[in-house]
Amino acid sequence: MRIYEDLRSLQSRLSVIKTVVVGALALVVVYFWHLQVVRGKYFRELAENNRIRSVPIPAPRGPIFDRNGRVLVENRSSFNVVLSAEPHANLDAELERVGRLIEVDEDQVRERIEGQGPRFKSVVVKADASEEDVAIVESRRLEEPEVGVEVVPLRAYPLTTEAAHALGRVGEITDRQLASAPFVGIEPGTVVGQAGIELQYNRALMGKDGVRRVIVNSRGVEVAEAQQEPPAPGLPATVTIDVELQRAMDEAMGGRPGSAVALDPHTGEILALTSNTAYDPNLFSSSISPAVWQALIKDPETPLMNRVIQGQYAPGSSFKVVMALAALDSGVITPNTRFHCPGYLNIYGKTFLCHKKEGHGTLNMIQALAQSCNVYFYNVGVRLEIERISKYANILGLNAPSGIDLPYEASGLIPSPEWKMRTQKVQWFPGETVSVSIGQGGVTVTAIQMARLAAAIGNGGRLVQPHLIKTLKAAPVEFKAPVDLGLKLSTIAAVKEGMAAVVAPGGTGWRAQLPGIRVAGKTGSAQVVTHARLETDKKSHMYQPHGWFLCFAPVENPRIAMAVMVEHGTAGGQSAAPIAGQILAHFFGVPPPPATTIPPPTPVLTGKPGPRPAPVPRPADE
Amino acid sequence: MAIDRRLLFNIDWGMMAAVLLLLGIGVATILSATYSGRNSGLEVKQVYWILIGLVALLACVSVDYRRLVDHAPLLYLASVPVLAYVLFLGPRIAGTRRWVVMGPMQIQPSEFVKLVAALFVAKIFAESKKDSLGIRDILGPGAAVGVLAALIAAEPDLGTAFTLVPLFVTGAVLAGLRLKAVLVLVAVGLVVGGAGWEFVLKDYQKTRIYSFLDPSLDPRGAGYQKIQSEIAVGSGGLAGRGYKQGTQAQLGYLPARHTDFIFSVLAEENGFVGVVVVLGLYLFILWRAMDTAQMARDRAGAFLAAGVATVLAFQVVYNIAMVAGLVPVKGLPLPLMSYGGSSIISSLLAVGLILNVRMRRFAN
Repeated sequence: MRIYEDLRSLQSRLSVIKTVVVGALALVVVYFWHLQVVRGKYFRELAENNRIRSVPIPAPRGPIFDRNGRVLVENRSSFNVVLSAEPHANLDAELERVGRLIEVDEDQVRERIEGQGPRFKSVVVKADASEEDVAIVESRRLEEPEVGVEVVPLRAYPLTTEAAHALGRVGEITDRQLASAPFVGIEPGTVVGQAGIELQYNRALMGKDGVRRVIVNSRGVEVAEAQQEPPAPGLPATVTIDVELQRAMDEAMGGRPGSAVALDPHTGEILALTSNTAYDPNLFSSSISPAVWQALIKDPETPLMNRVIQGQYAPGSSFKVVMALAALDSGVITPNTRFHCPGYLNIYGKTFLCHKKEGHGTLNMIQALAQSCNVYFYNVGVRLEIERISKYANILGLNAPSGIDLPYEASGLIPSPEWKMRTQKVQWFPGETVSVSIGQGGVTVTAIQMARLAAAIGNGGRLVQPHLIKTLKAAPVEFKAPVDLGLKLSTIAAVKEGMAAVVAPGGTGWRAQLPGIRVAGKTGSAQVVTHARLETDKKSHMYQPHGWFLCFAPVENPRIAMAVMVEHGTAGGQSAAPIAGQILAHFFGVPPPPATTIPPPTPVLTGKPGPRPAPVPRPADE
Repeated sequence: MAIDRRLLFNIDWGMMAAVLLLLGIGVATILSATYSGRNSGLEVKQVYWILIGLVALLACVSVDYRRLVDHAPLLYLASVPVLAYVLFLGPRIAGTRRWVVMGPMQIQPSEFVKLVAALFVAKIFAESKKDSLGIRDILGPGAAVGVLAALIAAEPDLGTAFTLVPLFVTGAVLAGLRLKAVLVLVAVGLVVGGAGWEFVLKDYQKTRIYSFLDPSLDPRGAGYQKIQSEIAVGSGGLAGRGYKQGTQAQLGYLPARHTDFIFSVLAEENGFVGVVVVLGLYLFILWRAMDTAQMARDRAGAFLAAGVATVLAFQVVYNIAMVAGLVPVKGLPLPLMSYGGSSIISSLLAVGLILNVRMRRFAN
C-alpha cells in the first residue's frame, strides 16, 4: 500500500459528481418554480374543486289548495339515509356495514349509483326511512361518518285517492322528460310532476333548489359547510275543486269503475273530478317500488288512466241532446214535430229497433228526449244527414279536446263521410247515420266533453273552457272566455225543457230528481257489443253497456253541470242518474230523494263465472 | 470507546446544524400532515426516532471509519441472511415483505443495507490498484452489490434497490471506470430494464408507470397519487397556503403525506419559498459531503463519503422529483424528513459516516 495515496484524479472526478448533483437540484428547483409560481393559479383552482362540492337542497313544491283554501297537496319532511363516500370503490363493504344497522335494498342502491352521472351526489341508501332507522344512523355518526341522514321534502296527498287524477303525482324526472322542451334546465334526479296538475303546472309549482357548498375530505365525507344558498320553496296554487263536493262525488261513485266530472257552467271551473279505479299518488312520492309500479300498470282496471279526459266511450242516447240541438237549430224539426214509434224503424233495407219493443207511440221532441225514443231520433238523423250532425257535434265541442288544463287529453270521435273516406277508404252508408243518431256507430266522447256540453246548454249556448287551476303564484289564472255558439234561444229553451222532462216522473232520468230543485239531464247507455251478442252472452258483466248521465241544475239558472259515466253500469238511468242525483243533492244541500237507490257495484268478472248482475230486459234506456 | 476531544472539535458543526434544521422542519411538517383536530402523536414518535438516530450517529463517529470499511465484507455477509429472512419469513404488510418485527417496532433492514453497500463499495474500490477500470474489473463487485439489490427488489422495494445502482456507478466511475465501459453499462442497463419490464415487474408496478405517463388513464387509481401531489405542490404558489392550511394535506387528498409525500405537504403549505429553503439545506449538506470526499485523508474515506453522499443525493432528488410528478411513484422516503424509524436512523447514520470521514481527515 502506498503511504501517500494519490487522490488528485479522484478529486477531479468528484468535482464532476458534485456538478451533477448541483445540476439535478437546480433543475428540480426550476421545475418547482414552474409548478408553483407559473402554474400556481391553475393548481389552486384544482385544489378548490377537489374539496368543494355542491350539494343541492331540494326545494319543496308549492302546496295546492282547493277553492275554499283547504289543503289538497302539501309536503312532509322525510328522511333519506345516504352514503356520502366517494369514490364508491369499496361499496360492498360500505353497504354491508350499513346493512348491519338498518334494512337496505342493495340492488336498488346499486341501480341508483349506475344511473348517477359523474357528478358528485350522495347515494340514497334508503328513501323515506323510519324514525327508528334515523335514530340508529344518528347514534352511529362517529363510527360511520359516511352514512348520514338527509331531510328532503316529500309530496303528500292527504286525500289519498280522492281527486288523484286531477292533482296528479310526482316522481323523479324521466330520461324522456330530460330531453323534452318543458323540462329544459332541470337536473337529473329532480322530482317533477308526472301527471295531472302536478305535470301541467310543473314549473310554477317547482321551487328553486338551494345549494350547499360543502368542504369534503378525500373520502367524500363532509367536514364543513362553506356556503349555503337556501332553497326557494314553490309558491302555492289554488284549484277550482271543492273538496266537499269531491268527497260527495267519490262517495256517490262508491268505487265503481267509471268517471264523473262537475263544473261551473258559466266559467268552466271544475268543481269535482273522479276517475275510477283510482290510485294513491302518495305511492309515487318516495321512489315507487318496481312491484307496485308493475301492479298499477298491469291492473285491468287501468287505475293510472284519467277516464274523465282519456276514457273514450260511445255516448249512446246522451248523444240525442246533440241531435235535438242540431235539428232544432237547423230548422229540420220544431219542438212540436211528431214522429210515430212502433218500436222499430225500417229504413235503407234494415230494421232499427227502439229500446221499447211495443213502441212509444206518437211523440214530440220533448217527449222523445224524456223517454229517449230511438225511432224519433232515427227520423231526425235521416233528415239532418251525417254532414250536419257532424258539423253540430263539432260546434258543440265534440271530436276535439276540451282544452282542460290537464295533460294527455283525448279528443273522442265524430264520424263523417270525409273521415270514413280518409281512414277506411270506404263510402259512407246512409244506414250508418241512423246508428250515429243514437250515439253509436263509431261515435266516441269523453266525460269532460259531455259535461261541457251540458254546461253549454245550461248557460244558454256558450261553450266554456273547462279548467282546474284558479290561482298560481298567488295570481289568478285567466282562461279563454266562454264562446257563444250562436244557437237560437228557442233551440236552447226547447232542449232544456226536454232535458228537464228526462228528470221528471216518467222520464228515463227520474232517479236524479231533487226536492225543490229542477234538474235537467239526459241518460245514455253505450252499447259495448251488438244486441244479438248481448242476448247470448248475458252472463258476462263486461258486455253490459256503459251508463251515462249528463245534467245541469237548476234548470232556470244552472250552478252546476255534470257528466257521470259508469262502466258496464247498464242503463244510464239506472246506474249513472242516481249517482248524479246524490252528488247534486249534496251540492244544493238538500236530502237525496228516497227514490235514489243506487245499485250495488257490479262485481268484477275476469272470465270466471260469478254472481250474475241483475238481468236487464233491454240494453238501451229503460 | 471515548472520542478524542480534538476529533470532536473537528466535527462539521455547520453540516450538523443543517441536519438538525431539516429534522426540525420534518417534525413540524409531520405534525401538520397528520393533524386532524388534534395531534396524531406521530411527531412525538418521530422525535424519539431522531433521538435514537442521534445516539446511533454518535456511536458511528466514535469508531474510525477505516475500521468500519475494513469490516465491510463481514457486514455484507451478515446482510444477505437478514434480507433473505425478511424476504422469505418476514411478515407480509400491505403486500410486501420489507420488515423485521421486533416487539412494537418494525425495522426495515434495506434502509441499513444501503449503508452496508456504501461501506462495501468503498472497501472494494479503495483497494483497487488500477488507474483505469474496464467492464471485467467491475463484474465481481457489481455482482456482489447486485445480490443485495435483487434481494431488496424482490421484497418488493424497487426504490431502495435502485438506490444501489447510482452508489455502485459512482464508486466505479471514481475508481476510474473508462467511458467506453460506462456506455456498455448503459446499453446493458437498457436491455436488462427491458427484460425486467417484461418478466420481473408486477402488474401494479406497470400500472404505476403507465399511469405516470398518463395519469388521466386512472385518476382514481394509480394516477391518483401523482395528480394529487402535483395539485398540492402547485397550489402552494410562491408563499404557500400557510402552516396546517393546505387543503390537499389537511383533507386527506394526499396519500402517504407524512412519509413518502412529506415534501408535498411542505410545498403546499410553505410554497416555493419553503421549497427553496429546504432544498438549499439539502444542497448544503450534500455539498459538504462531497467536500468531505474531496478532502478525505485516504481513498477509503473518499469512496465512503462519496458513496453515502450519492445515496442521499439520489434519494433526495428522486423523492422530490416524484413529489413534483416528474418521475414514477416509488416508495422512497425523503431522508431526514419523512416519518419512519428505519429511515431516520439510517439517514442519521449516513450523516454520521460523512462526519466520521471529515473529522478524521488530519488524523493518522
